[in-house]
Amino acid sequence: MGFQLQQESRRKFLKQVAAGAATVSAAGIIPSRAFSANKTLTVGMNIPMTGDLAPWGLPGFYGCEIIANNINAWGGVTIGGETYDLSIATYDHAYETDKAVQGMKKLVLEDDAKMVMMLGGATVAAVLPWATRRKVLTTTLLPSDITPDSEYLIATCESHPLYNVTGVEYLAREFPDAKTAVIVTNNDVEYGLQSTATYQAAFEVAGIEVVDTNLHGFDVTDFAPIVSSVLAKNPDIFCMATSFYVTPIMEQLYHQGFTGKIISCTLDYYHEIIQKTSVDFVNGTIFQFPDFDDPALLESGISFPDPAGFDAAFRKDHPNDWSAVAWEYPVILLNWLENAKAAGSVESEAVIAHMTNNKQEFVFGGGDWWGSQLWGLDNVLIGRWPVVVVTDGKARIQEYGDLAGWLEKNKDVLTKHMKNLGLRTI
Amino acid sequence: MDLFIQTIVNGIIQSGFYALASIGLVLVFGVMRVVNFAHGELVMVGAYTVWLVHAQHGAPYLFTVVLAIILVTGIGLVMERFLFRPMMNDPLGGLICSIGVLFILQVIATYVGGEGPSKQVPPPFEGTMVIMDSIRIPYQRLFSICVSAAALVTLWYFLTRSTLGWAVRAVSMDREAAALQGISTVRISMVAIGVGAAMAGLAGALMAPLTNINPHMGHNVIITAFIVTIVGGIGSLPGAVIAAVLYALFHTFVTTYFSGTIATISGLLIMVLVLIVRPTGIMGHRVSE
Repeated sequence: MGFQLQQESRRKFLKQVAAGAATVSAAGIIPSRAFSANKTLTVGMNIPMTGDLAPWGLPGFYGCEIIANNINAWGGVTIGGETYDLSIATYDHAYETDKAVQGMKKLVLEDDAKMVMMLGGATVAAVLPWATRRKVLTTTLLPSDITPDSEYLIATCESHPLYNVTGVEYLAREFPDAKTAVIVTNNDVEYGLQSTATYQAAFEVAGIEVVDTNLHGFDVTDFAPIVSSVLAKNPDIFCMATSFYVTPIMEQLYHQGFTGKIISCTLDYYHEIIQKTSVDFVNGTIFQFPDFDDPALLESGISFPDPAGFDAAFRKDHPNDWSAVAWEYPVILLNWLENAKAAGSVESEAVIAHMTNNKQEFVFGGGDWWGSQLWGLDNVLIGRWPVVVVTDGKARIQEYGDLAGWLEKNKDVLTKHMKNLGLRTI
Repeated sequence: MDLFIQTIVNGIIQSGFYALASIGLVLVFGVMRVVNFAHGELVMVGAYTVWLVHAQHGAPYLFTVVLAIILVTGIGLVMERFLFRPMMNDPLGGLICSIGVLFILQVIATYVGGEGPSKQVPPPFEGTMVIMDSIRIPYQRLFSICVSAAALVTLWYFLTRSTLGWAVRAVSMDREAAALQGISTVRISMVAIGVGAAMAGLAGALMAPLTNINPHMGHNVIITAFIVTIVGGIGSLPGAVIAAVLYALFHTFVTTYFSGTIATISGLLIMVLVLIVRPTGIMGHRVSE
């Protein structure tokens, strides 16, 4: 009964956000707190907004701004009997650890942020001791940041790179003749290697042989030799695990005449890739991050309010900035707000207790706490994850993969590949 | 065998960029004895010019290449007049000033281009030339290597066949002796940095459709330029061109057959080795005090 009540409250809240989205989109309302008597509830974003990783920070801020404007246009959010206007405070750490620590302290101590969203990786590791001591609820897009002691660190949206297995499952089923693969990605521990291990495991489970794995540094300016090198192995599948350099690699694949299947974790700014290659070449590329004007997001089980309205509002103000994280930080924000409302408090201990003690609905359906099997703590919310394929020049969801089911059956294979690459597991 | 030939082709194309990007650094050091740390940012400004004027506003690509050369040359001349010339007798001061310019240009690029993702320029020359069914050269890269080669030949002609070029070489060899011969070292310094900056602008404009453009892209350029300059012989223009070709082929082969990381580390090791074993580089010469 309690869960039923929470579900109703949750749906009401999301409908409210969606209605706000429609109002703001239609009327171009920019809410002004100057006319509001509400208190301000501040949520922090300690993210890269400049530098190489800005595409995985800045679009998330734009997305959260839309959500905050919608909520404020509707009159704010009521938590524990108090109505608040929502404010997003940001700190640009440019993916530098010392700045990330400084940013965390600034957001919490000066801006009074009740929750801080981060990208993940080295910057999260740097802030974690302080954030844990201060009991600050912090979120990451990289579950591999979670340790047995990081009780205030959660990953409620992106379960990078676990979901990549759903793309490989789809590829193996739809293209059974594709039997060999090469993997190319950057050689960092947080993104490239985690993703490489996951793809290696997924390919092994699917019966696909990995004939070459090329891990490159961040100083590459010319991908011609790397692509020439791996294409000499005549692979059926070219896999970009989690590459920061998808566009120049795709360009080289195009020029060097690759005709096999391409699978990638992300395909950010794919319209630019099409401009540099061709629609025909990019068509059929499999990846994991949908556009939110996708009709498949209207089906039941998707809990994001008015995805198409969100997509339109985002692209109206930031036509060239949509990336994988554009909707992910908003999903985290909405999930936190729902739990704060249900817990009747914005304090981290109350919110995280409510989160972990209650059933959570994942944005694409499903929703299980996971993570203790690999990283020592069940602080990763996993659920169905979309498999996206470029079709007629547009990213379109083909199906939702069962991540939990795959992990249940194949966790040991994944652990083996993670250990082989020297990655931390419990 | 196909991979071997393709690797040679990839290496030769890359050598054009390396040579263009390095030659300016060599010229400025040779004539002014200043290590211009902002040289990579001059390449970046060339690339941003093409992105802004061609990709964003639709101006013809070749026009923006010329515009990039003019703009970057202008920046070089301003640097010479207001930074390097007052620091003429203080190489360390010139170096520190150039680091300041580096940051200023990065901030301006961020301001002009905005934060967020790297910028992309659609290739003005589409398609790929296929030789013997297996060797592939994108037309954009073919265009770039031809223009790079033409620019280097023009520079060589200027330095060896024109009076002004002779003067540049004379100042590069011995500044005081050149001045005693009536050569205006101030004027020659302007020519050197102007030509060097023009080459950097051209390199950036040619690279623009082939790489990720961002305010920090000059970082990799300057590292490569330093390796090429030191291996070729500090201050030696022919040395820089030879070193650019050798280093590009070496880097491309090691990247193809081993890994990019090993290639970069090996390149830096070679630079250190040259500094220890043959500090004058391939074509440099020892100057007696």
